[in-house]
This record gives sequence, structure tokens and C-alpha cells, in this order.
Amino acid sequence: MLCGGERFDLARTGLARTERLNGWMFIMPALVLLGVFMIYPILWSLWMSFQVGRGMNLSFGGFANILRLTQDPVFQRALSNTFIFLIVQVPIMLVLALIFATMLNDSKLWGRSLFRTAIFLPCVTSLVAYSVLFRSLFLADGFVNDFLLGLHLISEPIPWLADPFWAKIVIIMAITWRWTGYNMIFYLAAMQNIDRSIYESAKIDGVPTWARFWYLTVPMLKPVILFTSVISTIGTLQLFDEVNNIPPNAGGPSDATLTLSLYIYNLSFRFMPSFGYAATVSYVIVILVGILSYFQFMVVRDKRR
Amino acid sequence: MTGLRLRGVRKSFGVVEVIKGVDLDIASEEFIVFVGPSGCGKSTLLRMIAGLEEISDGELFIGDDKMNEVAPSKRGIAMVFQTYALYPHMTVRENMGFALRFAGTPKDEIARQVAEAARILELGDLLDRRPKELSGGQRQRVAIGRAIVRHPQVFLFDEPLSNLDAELRVHMRIELARLHRELNATIIYVTHDQVEAMTLADRIVVLRDGVVEQVGAPLELYDDPDNLFVAGFIGSPKMNFLKGEMEKGAVRLIEHGDIRVPVSVAAAPGTAVTVGIRPESFKADGSAALDLTVELVEHLGGETLAYARHGHGQLITVATDNDRGLASGDGFSARFNPEALLLFAADGARIR
Ligand SMILES: Nc1ncnc2c1ncn2[C@@H]1O[C@H](COP(=O)(O)OP(=O)(O)O)[C@@H](O)[C@H]1O
Ligand SMILES: [Mg+2]
Repeated sequence: MLCGGERFDLARTGLARTERLNGWMFIMPALVLLGVFMIYPILWSLWMSFQVGRGMNLSFGGFANILRLTQDPVFQRALSNTFIFLIVQVPIMLVLALIFATMLNDSKLWGRSLFRTAIFLPCVTSLVAYSVLFRSLFLADGFVNDFLLGLHLISEPIPWLADPFWAKIVIIMAITWRWTGYNMIFYLAAMQNIDRSIYESAKIDGVPTWARFWYLTVPMLKPVILFTSVISTIGTLQLFDEVNNIPPNAGGPSDATLTLSLYIYNLSFRFMPSFGYAATVSYVIVILVGILSYFQFMVVRDKRR
Repeated sequence: MTGLRLRGVRKSFGVVEVIKGVDLDIASEEFIVFVGPSGCGKSTLLRMIAGLEEISDGELFIGDDKMNEVAPSKRGIAMVFQTYALYPHMTVRENMGFALRFAGTPKDEIARQVAEAARILELGDLLDRRPKELSGGQRQRVAIGRAIVRHPQVFLFDEPLSNLDAELRVHMRIELARLHRELNATIIYVTHDQVEAMTLADRIVVLRDGVVEQVGAPLELYDDPDNLFVAGFIGSPKMNFLKGEMEKGAVRLIEHGDIRVPVSVAAAPGTAVTVGIRPESFKADGSAALDLTVELVEHLGGETLAYARHGHGQLITVATDNDRGLASGDGFSARFNPEALLLFAADGARIR
């Protein structure tokens, strides 16, 4: 009571006003930069998404771009490809990351910091270098085919990058290879905060290993799993680098790996520029991110609240 | 029910030997307390019994079975941890019933067991709360409940009361004593607090640096310690230790004006000894006396502790019979009976 009254009085003094002004002055540079480089482009692109026309030749088109979305088979291709990547790759990657984290959290494991580093390293390697490497590995006469042929697992080379189905598989393997370790680090960090005696207690009480993982580790990591699934979803919706660099022709073969981001890039820079429509497609990604994140929060939300 | 036998049990972490050969027999339904200073290996010894640490050398029997290689869950034990180790995302009910699901216990039987444990521990109203909605004492009771539902032969407690405040500790101590009577189980209890050990134990095991210094009933250790360490560790306030030298039929207290106190122990005249006397052994009607000057007085209400010395000698604690008249700077004569003295040889062993 007293404390609140004092603060109230302070707020009315000149001193408080000066302090408030100083506060704003301190964050002003950051605010200006944010405004110029983030908020302004966001609003500008929103406005752009209602523009039609080619190149610099723009005019307001109302909902024309949104109508165009519904009639554009390439957009629908990109959308469905993006969803396939999302639905197949994100769960595989997160489950793998969780399993690796559990194994590498075992203090009895020999050389675990070596393994941790090895699994984490891909996400800090050069994107172009790894893309080139993946492309050469999966060439028709590349290492992977040679290896599988050598083991007699396959009788003829798999057309990895020439076949729409296999090309998707290669992309999924590539992003999984690249980002599993990154997610694993979050899980490991969270696991190290769990009191070890929780597991010891469960062990003494006869809770089997799988149940310790499923009923203890997974629920206790729920907030981190939510976090990683949201950032992975966002990352996959924005998938661009791999599909642009790994297939011999970006997005190929025959648009089998075309994603929304790559389509936006093509619309803006590769084809005759269509900035307005490209902005509309970007807003599709924004809306998808919003919807999917909301659902993920709903799914893991604490039922008691 | 089940007792335990430890034979030459050792534990090394790398080159560091932490438990240096422990032999111990624990009777069925006994409440046994491992006590000792922090880092002496109490938890390690307990964790070896639980199966959480491998036994480097020696043998462990629970009941008649050698348990060295047996998995923790097959040893018929339950353990309560200092940090409680509750499952944070489960309610009290789920916490207590969780492990039973994997023992093939039917659902209604689990519910019955949980209800029974909740009754014993007075947790009935809290069954649907999560650990973070409980106080420290309640969490502790849930942890105990989780142990009870498994009906183990042996309960292991690792400093279960250390995270509670003083008042709650006293309360939980009484609860634990009641629980022991009600459960008729063997309890092995680890603490660094000698008061907890004295109040709870049937027998106390005093550990120091991975070695058992003495095993005995609380009052045995208090009245008849085997060595200097046990004498100093058990009892509060701590026993006073004076320098002495043996003479024929007496001990000469070097720092107290060479007064001679008659004692009847077998030690050669001229031997240097340490003379122990408990603060509460000073009695107004004693036949011998130390001449002391009071330095500080602590009035605890029920008793008064005087910290005093002879000349520039060491500080002696005297528990007076509530002598409220004492003040700092007073000279007084601290009387005691010579039988109350305990004598220790230079290596710390008791001279009887
Ligand atoms: N996992 C371990 N690795 C290495 N040293 C350990 C380990 N656990 C305990 N120690 C050492 O063993 C000694 C006894 O530890 P502990 O049994 O926890 O002592 P207490 O419970 O009596 O305080 C300590 O010196 C501690 O540093
Ligand atoms: Mg300990």
C-alpha cells in the first residue's frame, strides 16, 4: 500500500519524467533501426501484396493476387511440396534429436563430447559446401549409389536427383543431417537441468528404460519440444537453401522440390519480376506460421490451465 | 523381514578410494543411521546398497542373497532422496502410483495402495496437486509415500530432512519414528546431523573418511565412545578436550595449573593423553574442579552455557545448572566428578 503510494508520487515529480525520457532515449536507436528495417518493410510488403503488374509497373489490384493463388498450379505445387517436407521431415528430425540427446546424456557413454560435437557440427558448416557435397554424393554414379551397388543392396543405380520422389528424399535427408544436431543441443541442455535422482528413483522403483523415456523425459522436455517444433516448422516453411542448391536445377526435377520460398524467389528475381504476387505468397507463409504455431501451443498446453 | 550384511565393502572413483572396507550387520526391522561429516562417504555407501553405484570390492547381502550384481529394482528396497526426486509433471496420486504400473499391479490395487499410503502420511487432501503446489514438508511426505506403496523390505533415506526448516525437521523426525513403528521395515538413514541420528536411531554407524569409526546404540556412543572422533562428533554442545599426562592413579591437567584428578585406567605414568569432559558433566557437587574465568555466557532459557578458560588456556564449554548469575569476567570453579572423564591416547583411541 505504502509502496504503491510512493511510486505514484514519484511518477508525478519532474525527476521521474526525466528518467522516463532518458529511458526512451536509450532504446531509441534500437527502435529506429527496428522501425526502418523491420516494421516498415513488413507494412510495405503488406501493401505490395495488393499490387498487380510486372517489374516496376505496379497498380492496386485489390484481391486479384489472392484470386491468382487459387488458380496458380505452380503455387499449389510449391505449397504441397512444402507441406510434404514439413510433415515428413520435422517429426523424423525431432524424434532423432531426442533419441540422440538421450543417448548422449548418459554419463557412462565413452567419448560423448566427441559425438555431441560431431552431431552438432553440420549446422555450422558452409551451406554451399555441404550442398555441393550432397549433390556429388547423390549423382547417378556418385558415392551413395556406388556404395549401395557394392553391397548388392540395389541392382541398378537409384536416380536420386532425377526422380521426383527420390529428389524429395535427398532434400529430407539433407536438412535432417543439417539440423538434427541443432535441435539435439536444446534437448541436451534441458536434460541437464533435470534432477538426476528423478531417474535414479524411477530405476530403483523398477520403471523400465522405455517408460523412463516416454513418461518422464518426454513430458519434462515438453516446453523445449514445443519450442523446437515451432522453430523447425518455421524453418521448413522457409526452406530455400537446400532446394536451391542441391538439385542440379533449382526446385527440380520438374518442380518436385519447389518450395514456397523458392517460388517467391523465382517470382521476384528469376522470372519477369512480379513483386506484388511474390509478396502475397510471402504472406501465405506468415499466415501458415501463425496457424501452425497456434496449434502446436494448443496441443502441448497444460490441460489444467 | 530382512536384514543386511556388508563384508569388506569398498568403493573407488578412479584412483580415489571413498569407502575403505566396511563390515556391518543390520538386523531386520532395525532403524540404522549412518552419520558423519560431509564428504565422508555416507551417500556413496547408501547408493551402493541401493545399486546406484557399483561395489568395487566386497560383498553385500540383503536377506540371504548376495546383491552385488542385482539390479536396483530387484533388491527389495525403496529410496527417498534429499531432493525428493518427485516427477514434476505428475500429481501426488500419479507420483505414488507410477512405478506400480510397471510391476503389473492392477489399477484398483494401485488405487488402494495409494489411498493407504495417503492415509498413513495424511496426504488425502493433496492427491490431485502437483509437486510445485506443495510445501517442502508435503513433498517429503509424497516422496516417502512413493516408497511405501512398493512395500519394500528396506527403506533407504539420504538426508531426507536437510532441505526443511528447523521446526519442520523436528516434526518430520517424530513422523519418521512413528512410520518406522507402523511399517515394521528395516530403515537405513543417512544424515550429517548427529541430533537426528541420536533421536531416530536404534543403532548409529559413525563414518569418517570411508571408515566405520564405531557402531552402537545412541547412548552407547554418547557414554562410551571408542575414540576421540566419535566422542567429539556425538553430543551437543561438543565435548571439551584437555591436555593431560598420566601419573600413578591420576591424570595431571597440564593447562589447568597441573591439578591432579584421580582416574582408574591402565596407562603408564608419563603417557600424554587427551582428557575429554562433556559440557553437561560439570556438576555443582563434583569432587574435582577447574578454575576458570568466564569469557562469554549464553542463556538458552532452560540451561546456561558458559565459555571459559584457565589463564590463557583453551576455551572450555560448561553447561551450568541454569546459573543465571554468571557474567563475563567472573571467576568460577567448574566442579565435576572424576568418573566423568574420558581418556584418549595420542592416536585417538580410548584408554579404558
Ligand atoms: N561420482 C563420483 N565421482 C567421484 N567422486 C565422488 C563421486 N561421488 C562421490 N564422490 C566423492 O566421494 C566422497 C564421498 O561422497 P559422499 O558419499 O557423497 O559423501 P557424504 O554423503 O558423506 O557427504 C566425496 O569426497 C565425493 O567427492
Ligand atoms: Mg551425501
